[in-house]
This record gives sequence, structure tokens and C-alpha cells, in this order.
Amino acid sequence: MKKLRKNLRLITVFLILLFVLLAGYGAYSVAVYGNRWFSSSANTFARTQKKNVIPGDILDRNGAVLATAQNGKRVYPGDTASRSATVHAVGDSGSNVNNSAENFFASYLYGFNMSFLERLGYALRGEEKHGDAVRLTIDSRLAQYVSSVFPEGMAGAVVVMNYKTGEVLTEQSFPSFDPQNITTAVKQNPLKPFYNRAIQGLYTPGSTFKIVTAASVIENIPSYETLTVTCDGMLQLGQRLITDAGTDMAAGKVTKHGELTLKKAFTVSCNNAFARLALQLGDLKLRKTAERFGFNDNFLFQDMVVENSSYPTSNRTDGEIAWTGAGQSALSASPLHLCMIAACVANDGVMMEPRMLMSAVSPTGYTRATLSSRVYRRPLSTQQAAVLKDYLRAVITSGTGTAANIPGVKVCGKTGSAEIDTQENTNAFFVGFLDDPNTPYALSIVVENAGGGGSVAAPMAKQIFTWMLKNSNAQ
Amino acid sequence: MREKSGKRRPQPGRAMLAAVMLFFFLGFFLLALNDGEWKSFLLAVLVPLIIFIGTAGMSKLFPSDQLLLALTNFLCALGVLVLYRLNPEKGMTQAGNYGVGVACMVACTYVVRYVPRWKWLTVLMMLGSAGLLVLPLVFGRETNGAKNWIYIGNHSLQPSEIVKLALLLCVSWLLSQRRFFPALLFSGMCLGLLMLQKDLGTALLYYGVALILFFAATGSRLLVLCGVAGAGGGAFAGYQMFAHVKRRVAIWLNPWADTQGAGYQIVQSLIAIVNGGFWGVGLGLGNASVIPEYYNDFIFSVILHEFGVIFGLIVLCMYLFIVIRGMMIARRSRTVFHSLLAAGCTAMLALQTFVIIGGNIKLIPLTGVTLPFISYGGTSMVSSLCVIGLLQGVASRNEAGVNEDRELAMQGGGTL
Repeated sequence: MKKLRKNLRLITVFLILLFVLLAGYGAYSVAVYGNRWFSSSANTFARTQKKNVIPGDILDRNGAVLATAQNGKRVYPGDTASRSATVHAVGDSGSNVNNSAENFFASYLYGFNMSFLERLGYALRGEEKHGDAVRLTIDSRLAQYVSSVFPEGMAGAVVVMNYKTGEVLTEQSFPSFDPQNITTAVKQNPLKPFYNRAIQGLYTPGSTFKIVTAASVIENIPSYETLTVTCDGMLQLGQRLITDAGTDMAAGKVTKHGELTLKKAFTVSCNNAFARLALQLGDLKLRKTAERFGFNDNFLFQDMVVENSSYPTSNRTDGEIAWTGAGQSALSASPLHLCMIAACVANDGVMMEPRMLMSAVSPTGYTRATLSSRVYRRPLSTQQAAVLKDYLRAVITSGTGTAANIPGVKVCGKTGSAEIDTQENTNAFFVGFLDDPNTPYALSIVVENAGGGGSVAAPMAKQIFTWMLKNSNAQ
Repeated sequence: MREKSGKRRPQPGRAMLAAVMLFFFLGFFLLALNDGEWKSFLLAVLVPLIIFIGTAGMSKLFPSDQLLLALTNFLCALGVLVLYRLNPEKGMTQAGNYGVGVACMVACTYVVRYVPRWKWLTVLMMLGSAGLLVLPLVFGRETNGAKNWIYIGNHSLQPSEIVKLALLLCVSWLLSQRRFFPALLFSGMCLGLLMLQKDLGTALLYYGVALILFFAATGSRLLVLCGVAGAGGGAFAGYQMFAHVKRRVAIWLNPWADTQGAGYQIVQSLIAIVNGGFWGVGLGLGNASVIPEYYNDFIFSVILHEFGVIFGLIVLCMYLFIVIRGMMIARRSRTVFHSLLAAGCTAMLALQTFVIIGGNIKLIPLTGVTLPFISYGGTSMVSSLCVIGLLQGVASRNEAGVNEDRELAMQGGGTL
């Protein structure tokens, strides 16, 4: 009997633990995923409830009204140009854009977070409920300027963020559309204007990934400063041949860089050298570094839904590993994540979580939520970040990114041109930042099917940085 | 029964009983004001009355655990309330089930209280169980991949719910007689037949309860290890063998891959939960009936939706209290048989609650097990209340034992 009672005690503990597990998991998943579930397009309840509430305004960081309510219905003020510039961040009333402020902050905008007393107040006064005004970190003037710089009719994305705080100043996807006037041409556009490439578009990062490869070399090979790699133009690994930009096998033209240091290889963006470095590092070490930068992580940012980036884990032949080092292979990342990687180098190795909600204020003036900066990860030490910063600076002064150089300003960056089998031209990339604590801005630019990153994206970066330097006082 | 001379012991369930009755009176009254139906007014009186009979009335029949009864009755009535609000017809039926369940509970209590010899009864129950579990295989129709119901005219019946009680009684008795092999054989047979019915959720429950009973009786760690390994192997075999298991696991891993198709149920369940938020949308104001099977598998999500996450946690705590109370009864029992029986009943309720709520919140893959006391369905309601009846039977025997001690102590002049 005594033994039986002892066993029963153990069983009791086990059964109690089951309940603790239920409550713990339930609370955890509601706290972490709750808003994602809520803003899902499958939420029919929220859709019907929205009809009974006057939606709150959406403002940009400077207080400009991006969306408001007229006779209880959603309208987007301004002209076509200003509306299209912010539509992917703000969203549209028809929920064509996924995970925009309109969806993701619906709990504020449509008053779902109202307390019991507030609800009671509305009921007693017999008024229609009024949602909270949401202020975003988005700068609508910057967004308009970026739209004017982006090549007409092309597809791509631009993200600008403050690398010290993680505030997203603009996240734009092209082609864009006017939420107030959605035409059939927009709906039938093969480039899918509703799709938000900045956070949902998964791109092969191309040479911009060399930041990660270089970080892995600096971390794992102590003699990285004196290390040299020889580029002979062609590296045959099984079925895969690694070549550099400018190589044209049919014409018998081969780009050769010869003997290179890590810094030199980075500045000229030599695929061959980075392929060899990746092989020297091995897949495991490179993957570890990439995963510290957020690859293969399930992004659960509080203010934004960002598609997960991936570093391939299966089918790893030498040819694949080598191409990964140069940013090709089955790698993928969103423009926002690429911007975070550049921002991390700029911010001394600290990667901030991207933020988009500045504040949510109820109609009675009660502040329900405010911006708080949060560190996402620390993938680099301060020293490692300083070394990489120096490399990224060299890209602008003497490498592939000279088109982004602004005299007297410390622009740092990395270009990229990713080959896509189905496309005629490469996707043009530029990621970079201003190395100045007074203007802590990082950006990433992707232009699909446009050509080289150095020739297409770098000049755009220069224009955007110039605009930001001129208008930075208001940030 | 309770002797008059003894000091009246405190009854922790009294104040709670009043609160519970008030809660349901107000709940149904609110619904009645909303729809103006006479049925709602009727239930506003009837349900608190059943609760009163089911809780306070019991102590007139036998010494009972009032707290346990009050909690059980709260949960049963909560099921009736939520079902009535979503579907009045189902709510009325469930109120009937509830009444029948309380009667069966009393019957079970009396059986445990007064049956002195279990040997032949056990043999009879074992044979009956085998027969009952074979029935759906012969006469049943397949629904949701499993073949675990039998139909008699317009009525349907899930034999595994009734066999559950036989399993608890037989295995406890056999183990208390240290007849391990017959116990193993009987639980193995039940498990095998359930696997044949492809009712894997219930099979999992039986398995867990049998394992816990064997552990309680023997205290063998090796047994637990073998048992867990066996469960793992069984789960893997089930995964490989049954297409509907594979499908359910895939849905569990990522229901968001197909929110309108395969993942619809669980996605709507999760969305309903977050729509409710902390305080719920309010009784009668939700739309949780968009979840298929809202009245059965997903009723806990409906409760979270309309009453909120905090209330959901409270309901979870109520189950937890029932479990703790049940284990206390088991530890206080005087005989091995009663102790094992109470532990088995408690483990059955706990595991069943865990399996279905875990499925609702995507902690584990969803299995078609009912939520004890709350889910819609006559068999489920009756069997859950019968389990409580068995527990009460053990509790009443404990009480009788305590009273005997007291009498002996008084006669001998000693103290307790």
C-alpha cells in the first residue's frame, strides 16, 4: 500500500505536468503567433466585425495621413503617386496586399484591443466604435522619392531602415498600384503588383551574400588578412562550373583576377575566390555563420511578417557549396533580410529587429503601444564588424560599387548580380549603409531582370542616400 | 451512512455550488433575454436544478466529495450552455444527456460502494467488452477514417466509451489480485480491437491509462520505458499504416499550408481563440460555428472564443482540480483495488482532456476524442459521469472507512 501511494504521487506529478504543458504551450503560442493568426485572411470573424467599427487613421512617422475614414469607410488621401508609394506598407481595404499595416495592426485599427470599460462606454453612449490611430515608422516623402528613382515598369523592392533602432523607413515593392483605384490592368499585370516583394519576395542574394561568407572567413580562419586565393577564371566542380561576371565561354572570353587577398576578392566580388573560400571553410561552418545572420530561422518579428530565408541543407555537393559561397545555389532571402544584414555590419555587429509600429493611440488619447527597439541577434563581434565595414567601404571607393560613391560621405555597400535561369538579365542588388552615427541608415535595393548591381542598383543607392542626407534632420 | 453523532466536517463545495448555479442561471437568462424562447427560460431554471441535485442531492444518498461534484457539474452545464447558444436543439439534447448522466453516475457510485465481490463480475465485463468492441467492426459505418460507432435506428453509440469503464474496473481488479497476465491480455485485446476500428485517439487513451495502472501496481521503471517505447513504435506503425493518420500529422505540422482545405478546422480553431482574446467576445456574440465539429472536437475553442483565454485557463484549472482531487481519493483508499480504480479514473479524465485540448491548440495532432463533460454526445457524457461515479464510489468507501476508524477510536477511547 505504501509503495502504491508513492507510485500514485509520481503519477499525480506527471498528470499535473501535462496540464502545465497545455497551459504553457497555449499561452506561448497565443502570445507569439496570436497576431499572425488574427491577421490571417481566413479570419472571417474579424472581417465582419470590421464593418461595425470606424477604422483608425494610419499615419506616417511625420504625422502625414496615409489612410483615414470617411463616413465610416476606409479612404486613402493624397494623389496616385503618394498612395502607390506606401501601399505595400499601409495596405488596401480589399486586403489584396498581405501582412500590411492594415492587416497586421488590425487589432489596433479596428479596436479589437479595446478594454471592457471602453466597450461599455461606447455601448452606453450609443456611439459607433472607433479604432486606434496607428503611426508607422514609414517616411512617406522618402517613399515617394524612392518611387521616382526606381526604373519605370520594372519589378523589384527597396527597403530603408535605421540600423541603430531597427525602424523601417520604407519598404516598397514594384510595380506598385493605387489602392483607391484598383484597375483590371493592375489585377492582370503578370508582375503581380499586389505581391509585397520587400518582405515576401525570396531572392537568390547573389554577391550580397559574400558579406556572410567573408564574415565566416574572418571568424574561422585566423590568418584571413594574409590569406590569398588564386582566381584562374574557371573552377570545375563536378557538373558545376564557377565563372565570374564578364566570362563568355562561347566567345572564349574568361575573366581572371589572379592572386587575391580576402579584401581584394570582396571588393572586386570574385566568384571564383569566394567559391574556393567556401570549400576551404566547409559547408558546416559557412552554414553556422549564415544561421547566425538569420538564415533558416523562423522570423517572428513583432511588427512584421517576413518570409523566412533559407540556407540549403540537402543535396550539398562541392559544386553547390562553392556556389553558395558566391551567393548562388539554393540560397534565398527577402530584401528586408538583406537590408538587416547590411544594417548589422553598420551597427557594430548587432542586428536589430525591424520595427514598423511607432505608436497606437486610442481616440481618447490613450497610448496603447509605442515603439521599442529590440536586438534580434549579434552575429558579429565589434572587431569583425569593423573589418567588414572596411571591406564594404572599399567596394564603394575602389570596387564594384563606385557608382554609389558620394564625395565626402562614408558610403559602404556591396553589389550583387544574381543569375536566374529563366531570365534574360541578372537581378541587380545593392545593400549598403551610411557609416555615420548622425545618419544611421541602411538600405537594400533589388531590381529584377535589370543587369549588374554595380551599374543599375548602385546609382539608385547614391540618389537615395543623397536625398536622405539632405532631409535627415526630420528623421 | 453518515453518523449523526460525529462532528460535521467542512464541505468546501457549498459556496462554490451557489456560485455555479448563479453562473448558469445568468447565462441561460441572458440567452433567454436575447431570443425570448420559453426553452431558454426553462433551461435557466432546469440546469441549475440538475446541478443542485447532482451536487448537494448526492450527499443525501451517500457520503460524497462535494468539491469534485461541483466542478464536474459546472463543466457539464457549461457544455449545455455553450451548445444551446450555438445550436438550441443540440443544447436541449445535451441537457437530457446530462440528466441521464447524473442518474448513471449515481448507479456507478452504488456499484462501487456496495458490490463486495468482483471476480465473476470482472469476467462478465471482460466478455461483454470484447463483444461490444467487435460490434462496430461488423455493423459500423466508417466516418472520418475510423469505424467506431454502431447505429440502432436513429440512435448511435460508441462502444469504446462504455468499454472504458469496464477497462478501468477489470484492469484495476486484476492488478489488485496481482494477476498481471490476464490484465495485460485484456488491455491488449481492447487496444487491438480499437486499432482495427482505426480509432487511434481512444486507443492512445486506453494505452496511457493501462500503462499508468500497471506502473501504479508494480512501480517498475522498466515497464514505463518499455511502454513509452512501445507507444512510439505503435505511433510510427500507425503513421505508416493508416493514410488518415498521415494526413492528420501533416495538417498538424503545417495547417496554414491549406487554410481553406485540409487545415481549415485547426486554422479556424486557432483564429477563434485569438479572436476571443483575454476576455472573450461574449456569450452569444461569437461566430465559432464556422469551425466544423464545433460542438464536439473543438468545443474548447468555442469556449475560449466566447469566454476568453482567461476563462479557458480557469476551465483548465477545473479539470486540474478534478484530477488532483481524484488522486487524493486514490491515495486515501483502503484497498489496492479501490486505489487503482480511482487512479485509473483520474488518469482517464486527465489524458482525455490533454489529448483533445492539445489537439485544439496544435500541441499534438488532432484525434477525435471528446472533451469530458463538455463535448456534445450522449455516450461521452454518460461515460464521463460514470467515471466520476466510480470515483465517488471510492470516495464514499473512504469516508465509510474514516467513520469506522472514528467509531473504533471512540470505543477504545483513543484519539484520531
